[in-house]
Amino acid sequence: MSSEATVGAVEGPQRTLGQFALRFRVSGVLAFLILLSAGFALLRPQFLIPENLSAILSNAAILMIVAAAQAVILITRNLDVSVGSIMGFAAYLTADFAARNPGVGPALVLMPLAIGGALGALNGLLVSYGKVSPLIATLGTMSVYRGLTYVYARGQEVTSNRLPRWMIELADARLSGVPILVLLAAAVVCLLAAFLRFYPLGRRMYAVGSNPEASAFFGLRTQRIVLLAYVVGGVMCGLAGFLYAARVGTVTVILASGWELTSLAAAVIGGVSVTGGSGNVIGAALGAVVLATIDNGLVLLGVPEFWRMFIQGVAIVAAATADVVIATRIRRSLRVRRRLVRSAA
Amino acid sequence: MSRRLPQWELTLVVFTLVAAAWSATLSPYYLSLDQILNSTRQFVYPGILAVGLAVVVVLGEIDISLASTLAFGAVLFSKFSAAAAPIWLAVPIVVAACAALGALNGVLVARLGLPSLAVTLGTMGAFRGLAFILGSETGYTSFDDSYLYVGSEELLGSLPISFVLFCGVALAVGVLMRRTVFGRRCYAVGLNKEASWAAGIDVAQLKIQAYALAGGLAGLAALVWIGQYGSARGDNADGAILLVVTAVVLGGVDINGGRGGILGVVLALFLLGTMRNGMGLANVAGPTQTIVLGALLIAGVLRPAIFRAVARVYRLMFPRLADAPN
Repeated sequence: MSSEATVGAVEGPQRTLGQFALRFRVSGVLAFLILLSAGFALLRPQFLIPENLSAILSNAAILMIVAAAQAVILITRNLDVSVGSIMGFAAYLTADFAARNPGVGPALVLMPLAIGGALGALNGLLVSYGKVSPLIATLGTMSVYRGLTYVYARGQEVTSNRLPRWMIELADARLSGVPILVLLAAAVVCLLAAFLRFYPLGRRMYAVGSNPEASAFFGLRTQRIVLLAYVVGGVMCGLAGFLYAARVGTVTVILASGWELTSLAAAVIGGVSVTGGSGNVIGAALGAVVLATIDNGLVLLGVPEFWRMFIQGVAIVAAATADVVIATRIRRSLRVRRRLVRSAA
Repeated sequence: MSRRLPQWELTLVVFTLVAAAWSATLSPYYLSLDQILNSTRQFVYPGILAVGLAVVVVLGEIDISLASTLAFGAVLFSKFSAAAAPIWLAVPIVVAACAALGALNGVLVARLGLPSLAVTLGTMGAFRGLAFILGSETGYTSFDDSYLYVGSEELLGSLPISFVLFCGVALAVGVLMRRTVFGRRCYAVGLNKEASWAAGIDVAQLKIQAYALAGGLAGLAALVWIGQYGSARGDNADGAILLVVTAVVLGGVDINGGRGGILGVVLALFLLGTMRNGMGLANVAGPTQTIVLGALLIAGVLRPAIFRAVARVYRLMFPRLADAPN
């Protein structure tokens, strides 16, 4: 009996166990979503009518983008609590610009993207090159960005009649019955998922998040990769801010405040670990749909709005517990595997 | 390191004096004892939260649910006041209940091994939700006078009782951290968790105790809150956690654990309070104050990076000096 054959034989089933657990995490979110919907549908049949389901998805669409942005940053073992402020800043400046230049065309979209990218880059610089703890750095920029929005706005707001017509129509447009917003969010999330899954740079983000020291020794430019993750997150927040402005019509300075927590909640519920290196953006987007479903169902059930906070909080803790349990399982199976390999050799 | 920390605390004192001098030039009303003492009021409840948070941060963890624990405590106080229960009965029960919420955080973090940011992010929503569920959306404002005493009255004419309470809490926790086994173990765990465990410290139990302490202090802060604002509602102190974390970090407590003390946190609170007070008197708008607060927070944590950059420039300019053995 050769040692190589034994190693191979041991490795096979163990690897599938690990893969199963990882796949289980995202399918777990899906199963939870289906269970939740079934529960709401049983209690309130009108939950299942197409209009309601489409409303849930529309509500979830923008959060899906922000949750995915948060996920990219979480994967590199970092955090961004300034996402809501970036959205507000980008949305207000863009809306104000559009109101001053009435003839502006769809090229306007580039403006929030650039603003978001720049603000995200500042976060990334502080975290990667300034070596500031990500929570502290982005907590600081959260108030700085929001404060700058206030100062720029001087107590004004941009009302929907001053925004370009196409912007408002974009939010309500449908493509064969499906809201454009949902399609757009799904496309952005899928593109990002593909980037993280198939491109070397995407894999490196996971590597940096799993073990920053090891990836630095391996030769990855970890600082640059973290910076890039923040820029990608910022650009997506800029886009989300723009879409949010188009959707609500009236752009105020408090736009999207509180979204930092909602986006974190969506990402954590979707199986993105706050300790980095695991989870994916599709899960985060599903987490956003879960949150929107809970919101919608509670309204249908006539449950007071503040129960939402409680349920969201419990869901976050439950999701984090599930992550740790799975991680321990995987680590234990790896240890068994290593011991078997060693005894075989 | 031990040489650098007092330096930082001295820097905070200098900054505070500069801010006070600047405020005095901005407004003629600044330099009055009544005014200054009265201005400490709005910093008492975030101050008590910051002292509790500092203990948790020294252990290398974080608790962003403290403001929500305060809201829960405030609503619980309103229940006792509505039931006409005496205040001496209400205070220990509310503080114990808030400590239990903190201990729950601690159990989730230390026993289950969950990341503290995720846990307290969750409980931040859950506790606030609990406060709303327990109370109502309209809030409670008809507190009995005995409940408002600590947060609203003054001793000797102009010394707020809440400020005295804060000084007492800070002193007690400061002594706890510097002079007791518990405190020294917190620093040990914050510096090196594995080594402390190997040395026989029950790390999990220590963390649970620290979280419970922070939660209990949040209950005390709730007493100050209801006295100062006269109302209890689920959204009490919403968003206050930014100020609390800023004070802890600016006070020189290392966010990775093991370094920093209560004195620094108290001095940072004085600095923040002086600046807020001065800017308020000078009619600086709220948003601008927020920008300054955020910038201060970042500057507080960039400190080591700035030191490093200075050291690197120094080494580039005088290579032989820096390399010489000292």
